[in-house]
Amino acid sequence: MSSTDRRVRETFVEVADTLVAEYDVIDFLDSLARRTVDLLGVTACGLLLVDNRGALNLMAASTEQTRMLELFQLQNAEGPCLDCYHAGQPVQCPDLAEADNRWPNFSPAARRTGFAAVQALPMRLREDTIGAMNLFNAVPGALQSDAVELGQALANAATIGILHERAIRRHEMVTEQLQTALNSRVLIEQAKGVLAERLNISVDEAFTALRSHARVGNHKLADLAKAVVDGSVIIPAPLPPHVNPA
Amino acid sequence: MTRDGGLREPVFATDSRSDELQELQFTLGEGPYMEVLSGGGPVLAADLSSTDTARRWPIFASAAVERGVRAVFSFPVQAGAIRFGVLEVYRPWEGPLSADELTDALLCADAALELAIDDRGGITVGLEDLLDKRFIGRHAVVHQAAGMVSVQLGATITDGLAWLRAYAYAHDQRLELVATDVVARKLRSSLDTPLQDTGGSRNNGADPPAETTKEGDR
Repeated sequence: MSSTDRRVRETFVEVADTLVAEYDVIDFLDSLARRTVDLLGVTACGLLLVDNRGALNLMAASTEQTRMLELFQLQNAEGPCLDCYHAGQPVQCPDLAEADNRWPNFSPAARRTGFAAVQALPMRLREDTIGAMNLFNAVPGALQSDAVELGQALANAATIGILHERAIRRHEMVTEQLQTALNSRVLIEQAKGVLAERLNISVDEAFTALRSHARVGNHKLADLAKAVVDGSVIIPAPLPPHVNPA
Repeated sequence: MTRDGGLREPVFATDSRSDELQELQFTLGEGPYMEVLSGGGPVLAADLSSTDTARRWPIFASAAVERGVRAVFSFPVQAGAIRFGVLEVYRPWEGPLSADELTDALLCADAALELAIDDRGGITVGLEDLLDKRFIGRHAVVHQAAGMVSVQLGATITDGLAWLRAYAYAHDQRLELVATDVVARKLRSSLDTPLQDTGGSRNNGADPPAETTKEGDR
């Protein structure tokens, strides 16, 4: 078994183990986004959910750097995720240098952030597309078809993780779960702000601090975020103080 | 709804039956309303006479059906840790909300949230501003900024967001732009930055004392 095969296997074992236990949806998606970068050999990955207004909401990313978050936000007007959501199909752009006509705002912004290629894979539940997995690469080139297949499997795992009722018996359950997941993400953002201000660090650093504190203490990310916001938990400044998330 | 995170009580009911439905759930301690209060998302019960629902809320489901209510849809009035209450609608017939009805209900819950927040911020906005210009949405930066402002003011996250919205309103700026300045530490809230002062208490990027103020306050 090659080392990639082994890591793929480890990832799906981890996904399966997570999904049978009680888990935090944002934490799960955050791990999945990081694993995706590693397995597909891409530079960055984001998972976006569509809300009832048709707006794309970032749920998790392999990096929480502000410039990256802006790239996801921008796609509410145009970009591969929006196209992928509307078509319900994968969108490939192997060379952003040739995509300025297609996405006049997104494409230059992505290149300024250091990306040369972008892909979006649909997150689907039966006939509905609920969001997209967004993959960025620093070097131009299309993903190989086996990488696209693996990416789609990871995107499917994300869908299952969000709609974590094992069987969605009623269509309303999809709305219930999506809204809950969306609200968890808002809670994380609030906690990032509280922490950034208390510790005098950036919001990017605050997420890293929040995440590692949750890991070390074995807390659910959402529970910890709530405790940070209401002040019942004080997280100490991270050491060293100015490490950027990878 | 709650005014200050304290006791929740019904603030508005369109008819006596919806009032009665909420009373019933409070008294029984079960029902969609109660689940929304303890959970994180909406609870949509499209058929109160189904066996599933009867199992979920044994007393409430049959009591509601007796009163001619066949479907109840409850939506949290919330944004992350900010929780104001529940918007609940009912129908005398069974069946799920259509996609459009669902969108409308979620929009109404958001509008209720914004009205409640602006009430705390001491401002009254027109419906156009409410749903368009200063719509909270799920801009990550708005919620990050609300967190930062809450710490700066030594107040709750709700008041952090109320301050941002009031500031945006008073200075006629888009909410995301005000939030972006806060997160970039170009704008800082304090108790002496009056919410309704339109006289430019704002530090912008070209104004270095912002950093000094920040240190001095700590």
